[in-house]
Amino acid sequence: MSVVPEARNTPKPESATDSELRLAGAWRVVVLNDPVNLMSYVVMVFKKVLGFEEARARRHMLEVHEQGRSVVWVGLRERAEAYVFTLQQWHLSATLEPDEA
Amino acid sequence: MKRKGIEVKLSLPVVVPLLDVVRELAGELRRSLAAPPVLPDIDAEFRMAWEDELLAGQGEDLKALLSVFGSEFFAEGVVAFDEGNAEAIVRACTAVRLRLRDRRLRALGDETLETGDVDLAKLDEPLRKAFMSYLFLATLQELIIQHFDSIIIGP
Repeated sequence: MSVVPEARNTPKPESATDSELRLAGAWRVVVLNDPVNLMSYVVMVFKKVLGFEEARARRHMLEVHEQGRSVVWVGLRERAEAYVFTLQQWHLSATLEPDEA
Repeated sequence: MKRKGIEVKLSLPVVVPLLDVVRELAGELRRSLAAPPVLPDIDAEFRMAWEDELLAGQGEDLKALLSVFGSEFFAEGVVAFDEGNAEAIVRACTAVRLRLRDRRLRALGDETLETGDVDLAKLDEPLRKAFMSYLFLATLQELIIQHFDSIIIGP
């Protein structure tokens, strides 16, 4: 049995309710730049894992490439962990951080 | 329903030497992650389970990559990609490319890896072979993404 939520069937992003986030705190899924992954690969992974449309996937890919990082999702910790795990399965450099904004 | 697939004919004299590099690194990657995860605020037991699961998936992906270089490849230079192996292979290519960068291509620097602006004639043989392997795997990825993008992404 998987110790983290099933990666290949990760649900597509949806917003947690405000009250849920107030209670549990929000977490960011952050993707960091690396010199290895192809731009087309990163766009494909964003579309597959996060359910992004092409334009949004490209925008986040370029943000990673040009600014070194991009926040690709914000929400409850458990879901954020699932996204990070799946992005790591695709060998993207992804991590979690508390959303303190 | 017929599975979507492509066959690609590769140059045996060019690719076979690169497979030595790919196989060696794939062997290393059975025991360690290509990109060790950054996981703050996670307890040790959960981290270990997380990494074990990533490693198991990585191993399966590498098996899929190596299996396309079987007897048909060595007889005719042909490799086949289809709906069943495309996703695993495109991931495995990334794993090996990451390991190449860490273990064999440090001398080139990350900026050079990103631009690909390298004079192959100026590289010594091991570095040239490693960089050629890096480019070869990127080419396989581009090919797979071009043909299977919508299948990998899914509905």
